Amino acid sequence: MVDLGRVITPPAIRSASRPLRGELPAWRRVDWILLLAALALALIGSLLVWSATKQRQLALGLDPEAYFKKHLLNLVIGAVLGTIIAVIDYRRLRTWAPAIYVAACFGLLAVLGIGSTINGAHSWIVLPAGFQIQPSEFAKFGLVVSMAMLLAERRERENRRVGADVPLVLLLAAIPMGLIMLQPDLGTVLVFVFTILGVLSVAGVSWKWIVALIMVGIIVVYAAVAFHILKSYQLDRFKAFTNPQGNSTAAYNVDQARIAIATGGLTGQGLFHGKQTQGRFVPEQQTDFVFSVAGEELGLVGAGGIVVLFAIMLWRALRIAGRSPDLFGKLAAVGVVSWLAFQTFVNIGMTLGIMPVTGLPLPFVSYGGSSMFADCMAIGLLQNIHMRTKIAPRR
Amino acid sequence: MERVSLRMLVLRVLVAALVVTLGARLYYLQVVDKQLARSASAQQTRQVILPAPRGNIVDDTGQPLADNQQSLVISVDRSVLAQQSDNGKAVLARLADVIHVPASQLKNEIRLCTRGVSKPCWTGSPVQPVPVATNATDAEVLRISEHREDFSGVDVQTLPVREYPQRGNSSHEVGYVGAVTQDEIDAAASEPGPGLHDEDTIGRSGLEKQYDAQLRGTDGIRTVSVDPTGAATGTVSTTAPKPGDTLVTSLDNNVESIAQKALQNELVSSRNTFDPKSGQNFAAPSGAVVVMDPDTGRVLALASYPTFDPNVFTGGISQSELAKLDSPSANTPMVSRAVQGQFAPGSTFKLSTASAITMDHQLGLDQKGQCPPSLQIGNQKKTNFDSESLPGDISLSEALAFSCDTFFYRYAIQAWNSDQKLVDNGKKPVEALQAMARAYGFGSAPGIDLPAGDQTSGAIVDRAFLKQQWEQNKQQYCTNAKQGYPNVSDPSRRAYLTEIAKENCTDGWRFTIGESADMAIGQGQTTVSPLQLATAYCALINGGTLYEPTIGKALVDPQGKVVQTIKPTVRRHVPVSQTVLNYIRNSLAFGNGGVSGETAFAGYPLNRFPMGGKTGTAQVFGKQDTSWFASWSRAGKQRYVVVGMVEQAGTGARAAAPMVRQVYQGMYGLGGPKAQPALPGAQMPSALPKIAPYANQVQSGEIVGSQPSASASPHGQAAGPPSGPPAITQTTRSRRASRYERRRRHG
Repeated sequence: MVDLGRVITPPAIRSASRPLRGELPAWRRVDWILLLAALALALIGSLLVWSATKQRQLALGLDPEAYFKKHLLNLVIGAVLGTIIAVIDYRRLRTWAPAIYVAACFGLLAVLGIGSTINGAHSWIVLPAGFQIQPSEFAKFGLVVSMAMLLAERRERENRRVGADVPLVLLLAAIPMGLIMLQPDLGTVLVFVFTILGVLSVAGVSWKWIVALIMVGIIVVYAAVAFHILKSYQLDRFKAFTNPQGNSTAAYNVDQARIAIATGGLTGQGLFHGKQTQGRFVPEQQTDFVFSVAGEELGLVGAGGIVVLFAIMLWRALRIAGRSPDLFGKLAAVGVVSWLAFQTFVNIGMTLGIMPVTGLPLPFVSYGGSSMFADCMAIGLLQNIHMRTKIAPRR
Repeated sequence: MERVSLRMLVLRVLVAALVVTLGARLYYLQVVDKQLARSASAQQTRQVILPAPRGNIVDDTGQPLADNQQSLVISVDRSVLAQQSDNGKAVLARLADVIHVPASQLKNEIRLCTRGVSKPCWTGSPVQPVPVATNATDAEVLRISEHREDFSGVDVQTLPVREYPQRGNSSHEVGYVGAVTQDEIDAAASEPGPGLHDEDTIGRSGLEKQYDAQLRGTDGIRTVSVDPTGAATGTVSTTAPKPGDTLVTSLDNNVESIAQKALQNELVSSRNTFDPKSGQNFAAPSGAVVVMDPDTGRVLALASYPTFDPNVFTGGISQSELAKLDSPSANTPMVSRAVQGQFAPGSTFKLSTASAITMDHQLGLDQKGQCPPSLQIGNQKKTNFDSESLPGDISLSEALAFSCDTFFYRYAIQAWNSDQKLVDNGKKPVEALQAMARAYGFGSAPGIDLPAGDQTSGAIVDRAFLKQQWEQNKQQYCTNAKQGYPNVSDPSRRAYLTEIAKENCTDGWRFTIGESADMAIGQGQTTVSPLQLATAYCALINGGTLYEPTIGKALVDPQGKVVQTIKPTVRRHVPVSQTVLNYIRNSLAFGNGGVSGETAFAGYPLNRFPMGGKTGTAQVFGKQDTSWFASWSRAGKQRYVVVGMVEQAGTGARAAAPMVRQVYQGMYGLGGPKAQPALPGAQMPSALPKIAPYANQVQSGEIVGSQPSASASPHGQAAGPPSGPPAITQTTRSRRASRYERRRRHG
């Protein structure tokens, strides 16, 4: 267990708040490109979710726009959360990191106790009024912040080469990862792994550590498969990836998603006009396979546009990481980049048939409250760091 | 900070690589690889075959010989049932009640035939609705259509079903259809053309087979979109089936009816007549009547007894039913005696022999010969019928009219002797009698527009024929000669058979002088079909043109437009001069009372309908005589050739001639003051009958269906091919067909 009591807030923050970027008003200091890219993804996502759920809702005699509206509502709530995260000085946030971490772990514990099982994973806490919360999404945010804090803390204070940090970070991450594995939610665990690798790399950890961690990761995944730690449906997903001709549910899902994308061609069949989508051939289409809606109905233009928007988002996030004046900001931004990049790649890659099915949502686009909230908070964190970075000459 | 920057760079490159990978893969899937896109349409749509209604077969006045009737077919869409919470159990239970079938049976019928599933089960495609009841009644359909909500997944369609309204008439010629086999589907798929589908029927015999390609039409295809469970969600496109062409024939159903009736009357009468020669009544098991137009080679009637009702084939036939139509013990009703029968022609064959001996200059038309009661030929003494004779020298004309066998034997002997000389000198025999017989079309298939297997060649005996036959049967002959027929109880018959077997064993290949004599008068192993004989007599009447007898007249497309006129083919002109043909015809013309068979036409108005004919009485070993009459008649400008044959019924004058008279009387309306002629004005129709465009005829359509495009009302317009009448109004007619209808496909 990390000795959180030893963490001491750096002196710089205790003194008067540093001036925000120059003397510009707050709205001028926002990274608008990043914000607009995220917003565009969320709005496109709302349309795709709408299209994906319309026929099913109609068939059930329900409001065909219900998911569309809820996606927008999620976006609004997410925006509020993101704004809150953005407004609080990230160095203050850094002091709250231990609390955030503990809260995230409690959330994960709670889900094991009072959570509900959806699609085989015990990941949700059902709230009144039709809401449900997926604590593992928030845990990603918690991991990024607490990991950045831990590494920045030791470096800045002791100003020495990191080495002993690695076991500490791993220990820190092990608790939420272990809890998530119990759900089990392999996809989120892998997001954690990739995020840890990203942050540790940029933190200057020896390459040997990185290579060792990757090796251990491979061994763990292999062991998980070999010793039946995974549930059968998770195994199916991997088998579907290695053998697409199989007849498991996962293979079918991937097949249908790929077919949908293939039929989109250059310009797509038109929103709400995809035969595969409107024919409800692709299961889980508003969540895990939402990208296939874009592929079929918007074609290469639309689906490629989404990829470009993600590229812009990641480019801005990397830029923020690169310009951050302090290590916490940099590592936090890198954590967000790793998290979003990995999740984006795995999700789209899975619908394109180049990654196994892991049940990860596509940031901002997939339907799901917790995921949207966590993504918005991540963008909020990036904006936070950006707003408080001095305008420096380009390197 | 250097190290951090480097690692940021690595991170940037990594992220960029991930993005590029996604973009490249996306581009590949959407633009480069076309394979997946194709599989999309395959799974998102299903093709439902709309069977093309088969073209009708009609007679020369447009009377249908084969047409289609609507059958109301109730089918079950498995994919819709599968979506129901109880897997359609409730729907099936209700449906079982409506169509009066146990629910358990219904459940079995609609399951897929997979390994380990015993019949009944569904052999077709999982998306094709499973027919569970054909010939549903209006009441059953109404119960379903009025409570659509209780019968989700139950469809009612009207399907065209083949019907043969004339039953036993022309049934051999019209033929029948059967369900297509997988081999035929595969074969059709590898050839250009519309191809065949599971639902199709195909002509199996007769005209149905001969003109199958034209009658079949082109199936329509309805492409329906389906949801992931396979249930239809909408119609993407519909290609209407193109009905087959209508075949107009020269068969005249009225004449056919008369001929069939005359044949059956004669059979009944013969069976009630005592035959003093055999000491028992005539057996008269079968017979045939052929009516042709000698000037065109067209066939008006091909009556044959026994006959069968081709409607039994509709919807499949069981083995035991087929046996009743096919087995020798049941007198093989499916064999057309007119076209497939092979019988010794007796004296009717003298047409050929007379032609041969005059054209060969063995006998001038002004020369005379003798007609003794008997003649010694080789080691045999051959007699005239009843050892009759004519005194003094007689002309060929008298020999033909009196049908004197001994007169003709002389020339058979001469021919054999001169041929034998050639053979002995190692030369090829002339065999002039046989050559003439072949020229008249005997010994080869007549080339009628029926499947090759449905017409026989008969046999003309010559040296080569016997040699070939002997080589085939030598073994058996010699075995029989050795064993001596131990199973035959009658000692004299056993001795006779053994003697023949011995002779055949050693000398069966020899064309003896006796065989030459037999051949000259149409006896022995010489056989012809009634159709062949009629074709030969057509040549006699029309001046020597030997036609391929033709039934089809024209093909008319579904719009009523004639797409093909079928002209009879001329096989050849017989090598007989007009003088000789006229001589033979005049010799056999009725009017002076001297021609054999003329007695049967006492009181017949020969002045209005001049005619002539040749009787034939063929002796068959172990059986009663075969009765023949080959005749011609003129009604104004129209001429007809009618050939009648009755097996085991005595002389030609006794059975066949009176039968043929009945046919003429019916054709000309001579049966009494009120009798209507079968042929108005005794003439054949000069023009093609008017064929109504197909819109007014039967077609397939959906009455009650799960497919959105179909009307849910039973009185709604049928979906599918060109706008037709409301399907259900035709169900009153469909009831007529139902008696012959059987379950399709399974059961």
